[in-house]
Amino acid sequence: MFANFRLSFAWLHTWFGLVLGFVLMAAFFFGSLSVFDREIDRWALPETRIEPQPMPSFDTILASRFAEIAAPEPEELAAASKRSTQPLPEKLKPALFGAYTTHRDPVLDVFVGFEVPNSTLPNDLAYGSVVIDPRDGRKLPKDRLALGSAFFYPMHYSLHFTWYDIGMWIVGLAAMAMLAAVVSGVVMHRKIFREFFTFRPGKKLLRGTLDLHNLTGVVALPFHFLWALSGLIIFAGVYFPVFDKMLQPLVEQHEREEARHTGLDAEPSGVPGTLASVDAMMIAAKDHWVSRGVPGEVGYLQVTHVGSSNAYVSIYRDSTDRVATAEGLHFQGSTGRVIFEDPPTGAAETVNGFLTGMHLQQFRHWTLRWLIFVGGLLSCVCITTGFIFFVEKRKHVHARQGTSGSRWVDALAVTTVTGMMVATLATLVMNRALPEDLANRDLWEKSTFWIAWLTALTHALWRSAAVLQARMSKAWAEQSWAIAALGAVAVVLNAATTGDHLGRTLMAGYWPVAGVDLMLIASACAAAIAARKLRARAAEVVPVNPEVPDYA
Amino acid sequence: MATATQSSWHVIARVCASIFGSYAFTWGFIALGASSLIIGGTAFHEASSLTSMLGFLVYLWAFCWAFIAASLARVWVVLAGGGVVMTLAGWWLSRSIA
Amino acid sequence: MPDALLLAAALACTVIGMGWLSLAMDVHWIQVRATRRSPRMVIILRVLGAASLAASLVLCLLADTATMAALVWMMLLAVAAVTIALVLSRKPALLAPLVAAFPQSP
Repeated sequence: MFANFRLSFAWLHTWFGLVLGFVLMAAFFFGSLSVFDREIDRWALPETRIEPQPMPSFDTILASRFAEIAAPEPEELAAASKRSTQPLPEKLKPALFGAYTTHRDPVLDVFVGFEVPNSTLPNDLAYGSVVIDPRDGRKLPKDRLALGSAFFYPMHYSLHFTWYDIGMWIVGLAAMAMLAAVVSGVVMHRKIFREFFTFRPGKKLLRGTLDLHNLTGVVALPFHFLWALSGLIIFAGVYFPVFDKMLQPLVEQHEREEARHTGLDAEPSGVPGTLASVDAMMIAAKDHWVSRGVPGEVGYLQVTHVGSSNAYVSIYRDSTDRVATAEGLHFQGSTGRVIFEDPPTGAAETVNGFLTGMHLQQFRHWTLRWLIFVGGLLSCVCITTGFIFFVEKRKHVHARQGTSGSRWVDALAVTTVTGMMVATLATLVMNRALPEDLANRDLWEKSTFWIAWLTALTHALWRSAAVLQARMSKAWAEQSWAIAALGAVAVVLNAATTGDHLGRTLMAGYWPVAGVDLMLIASACAAAIAARKLRARAAEVVPVNPEVPDYA
Repeated sequence: MATATQSSWHVIARVCASIFGSYAFTWGFIALGASSLIIGGTAFHEASSLTSMLGFLVYLWAFCWAFIAASLARVWVVLAGGGVVMTLAGWWLSRSIA
Repeated sequence: MPDALLLAAALACTVIGMGWLSLAMDVHWIQVRATRRSPRMVIILRVLGAASLAASLVLCLLADTATMAALVWMMLLAVAAVTIALVLSRKPALLAPLVAAFPQSP
């Protein structure tokens, strides 16, 4: 496109980095929060502040919970009726039971997959679910929003823009832009080894910003690349549904061979059957793992072809000690006999499993999980400094020319950096401020998030007028103060509404809630310090012709 | 930095090639790659894992190449054209096992 | 040796290793020592740095399975590099002990 490929890569890095950087900020910020999604859930749902529990009894607790889930969730039903060529019948037939827990989950996700008849997709299911307390099977109310796992986590891969999965496609494109930004960044950064440790904050803002952008980009390069790539690979079935859309004969041949080879039928027999004791199967599975030298708890439990004579029960270990997920043990539903054990996977599948497990980090290794969290924050710093560099490099030129490009970019940067944090904290505050038994509490909390973000955007747009005169927008400092205030209020409200103040949680060693409170306090302090420095900078007199450094 | 040397249409065409041309090429790569591997005896999940993982790297290569290649026409022929050819080949191969 | 200690030692080795590697560069050496040094000293610093990073990998492998250890080590490298960069930008004198054993002038 340009005279040489370095210039072309520079264009690619700048413009894709800028436009999709806003999406990437959301992905990496909420992705970082998602490392602690279960812990944020505990903070947001005080009635779940118990210790993590193993998978409970199927026969005495889970069986009745599954039976009580009568229909899919309304959104699932609506989506399924679009995929079906005929109107859906009144009652759908349950085909699959599933229960999933990890070493960090006090409460248990229990779901039923209902058959969608006449669907355009093969083996199509619509899901209904419930969250239960594993100790007694008590159901938790539906409108309690698990802010971590049900709000921040899906935000990071879908932006909650679920209409035709457009949000996932946008995040997917952003992830690909991230990979291209890493490649192009390396090509552009001529002194990549010489400036590996270089950070000169004392000099001009432009120099210091670029140094920090290069520093965070290069030292965490494997992290940026692997997490963007693994995120894409996890959703390969969504982004490239080649098999379902085009290679059906191969899929069908595989399913037939698999059913023959494993003894696990692909279709229900149509003949009613009974289920033997699943608890006995769970005990058999645990004994099997002990005999293999890998003792553990049940992580995932699934009953396939519910109610049929050829139903089978699949039990997977909660693999806390390795990166990839564990292989499954499959039992015949009617007798409890082991039909098949998943063999170790081939080379490509193992790599795939490793990358998936690495990204989802459900393993029990708190040091590594904290390091991954820090990696995510480094990515956020890299993206933020990219925005700041873009604006600082152009605002003087734009001010002289009377164009407003850098003004709009600055406003959007404020919105995606400080604004996103303001919205997050406002949601946490509202979570504690609302009455516990308010109807549709989840809708109130979600609305708070979007309204707060919109407010941050409006504020940023208003204040960014300063950039037209090449001055710094006051929005940076003001939103930092808001972050500090909201963080402090959130901690106080937690103590006031639940009594689980830091004194109590630290004494009891209840780290999920103590950890979130401590992070809130640390963030509030950091935001306050930043706010003071930013206010001082915004008040600075602007030099007439500042030097603009060459790309390094 | 030189941004005004290319017309807007050219820039839009490059961006479309990088996003959509690469997608077509990658789709074809996965279709042909997976069909070939499976027909050749590779296990289904092995073939699908390998081709999808490589697929994203292929997309990355195509995405970058669309910007650094000298001739935009060549980019479209290779990415979109190659994508269509590989897709048809993969589709035809998958039907050949019937 | 408990895993926490092994990982703490790995972190220390990584930070020190990155410190040595940074001081092998002239631009950072002069932040800590005003004097010049011989090419031999540069090589020694690079070897020490690489050895320290390798030692950190070994410690990670002692603490965890290979795949976990690889990830831990990769992230430790990033954290250590950022730490050294921040130290060099604020208080380079903190790295003086790393080269205390080196002679004062060539």
